[in-house]
Amino acid sequence: MSVILDVKHLSKSFGENPVLKDIDFTVSKGEVISIIGASGSGKSTLLRCINLLETPSAGEILYHGENILSRNVKAPRYRSHVGMVFQSFNLFNNMSVLKNCTVGQRTVLGKSREEATANAVKYLEKVGMAPYVNAKPKQLSGGQKQRVAIARALAMEPEILLFDEPTSALDPEMVGEVLAVMKKLADDGMTMIVVTHEMAFAKDVSTRVIYMNDGVICEEGTPDDVFVNPQKEETKAFLARFRDKG
Amino acid sequence: MYSSLMLSRAGLVASNLGDDIAKLWREASPQYLKGARDTLILAVVATAVGCIIGLLCGILQTLKYSKSDFVLKKIFINVIKVVVRVYVEVFRGTPMILQAVFIYFGLPYLTSNALRFDVITAAYVVVSINTGAYMAETVRGGILSIDRGQTEGAMAIGMNHFQTMVKVILPQTLRNIIPQIGNNLIINIKDTSVMFIIGYAELFAAHKAYVGATYLYFPSAVVTMAIYLIMTVVCSLLLRLWEHFIDGPENFNLATTDTLALTSGMNNFPSGKRRRAR
Ligand SMILES: Nc1ncnc2c1ncn2[C@@H]1O[C@H](COP(=O)(O)OP(=O)(O)OP(=O)(O)O)[C@@H](O)[C@H]1O
Ligand SMILES: [Mg+2]
Repeated sequence: MSVILDVKHLSKSFGENPVLKDIDFTVSKGEVISIIGASGSGKSTLLRCINLLETPSAGEILYHGENILSRNVKAPRYRSHVGMVFQSFNLFNNMSVLKNCTVGQRTVLGKSREEATANAVKYLEKVGMAPYVNAKPKQLSGGQKQRVAIARALAMEPEILLFDEPTSALDPEMVGEVLAVMKKLADDGMTMIVVTHEMAFAKDVSTRVIYMNDGVICEEGTPDDVFVNPQKEETKAFLARFRDKG
Repeated sequence: MYSSLMLSRAGLVASNLGDDIAKLWREASPQYLKGARDTLILAVVATAVGCIIGLLCGILQTLKYSKSDFVLKKIFINVIKVVVRVYVEVFRGTPMILQAVFIYFGLPYLTSNALRFDVITAAYVVVSINTGAYMAETVRGGILSIDRGQTEGAMAIGMNHFQTMVKVILPQTLRNIIPQIGNNLIINIKDTSVMFIIGYAELFAAHKAYVGATYLYFPSAVVTMAIYLIMTVVCSLLLRLWEHFIDGPENFNLATTDTLALTSGMNNFPSGKRRRAR
């Protein structure tokens, strides 16, 4: 399997507060990695560092062997290869659903209007939102917004997609539609890193699970390794707490 | 004064007022209408130019640099910010009537006539840069009030700072500051009256010229006020229309049907908030 991302000794502090400490992991093509862990353990910060929305304090992030933290790598260009789906959707409020999915292709990738539109519609169909091309974000439900956000990221044809708790802001009855879309992407071979509290998704869909605790990768392995045979006490305690909460 | 005198003969005045206004309108309506036209054009043009100045200054004030940027870039950005701040503070913090004096009389005086504007240009320049100073702050606030998630969403698909601003942030800022643009336009319609100080012939100047010749202070004031009010009300209506135009239709049309969501089929989600099922 070809390695897309290689994260080495990544650290991040906010002021005096170390949030990520010496994180090491690789992402290969086709992997679906779930990152689980308690609130405040640094999961979002890790994803945001990978997408350069935060600047790491130390370490390297190699994208196909090139360190993207070096000064001569253009962050916008790199980001266009690494899609991100946010907890709060972050759809552009001033644009229709269609425009949300074409604006990046037009301005960043320089595609023609026709090409961008065809591509956008293709991905909107994939997430079941093609009928809503003319809607504005404020006219959509949360689940619909998140599916459009996924289509917007896909329309850039990224090599890897990052999800930061994509279903946490949704009403319970809308979680399913978004997870269904994500499962479909995984089945199609999309490389994904998913920060999630949906343990069923992490168990059933991902190829690898990372448990983060207090800024470090505490445990890592197949879903079976982590959920059925966790080795670390912290992991066991976290999973037990999760089961209690239901 | 004249107005208190009028109160004592209230009965008479009502009919006199009508006659006086009719007389005034017969004699001088072209001057009043020309004044109104020049007021309106000055206010509209200067507000528009002021908005462009404000937009530029507002954007400049939100420029950022990161630690890793080159020293020269950091210095450059800081110098720009200081210049913009000084401009804003000076032109917001002094009366427009004095700014007019300064630019119309002061500039030729200081440059021994090398730099001088005619009355009309001076009026446009003063009102424009005055409006620009107010709009700079409005735009800055407007940009800051856009949710950080909008910027992050744009950055995440690879847009750079400039593209993010032009495509995502500024259109939303512009929508949000339309009420402020309207405020400025209305203020300008009224406050351009101080341009009489440099002899710009707008509506208030027409009033002054007429009462100077006829002493019909109150009838002329009534007419002048009515014209100002008509202009401001029409302008605020037009701005409302503009807002509606930008907002687009309340509802949208489905292209076909949504296949994934069980809960769909509703064309209109006014607030995005939904009752939980069961
Ligand atoms: N911009 C910031 N400035 C200062 N501290 C921050 C910032 N962003 C995050 N932190 C801190 O970093 C720590 C990790 O935050 P992070 O958002 O990565 O956690 P998380 O694992 O994603 O939690 P959650 O499950 O609640 O989303 C927290 O203690 C948080 O307070
Ligand atoms: Mg988080």
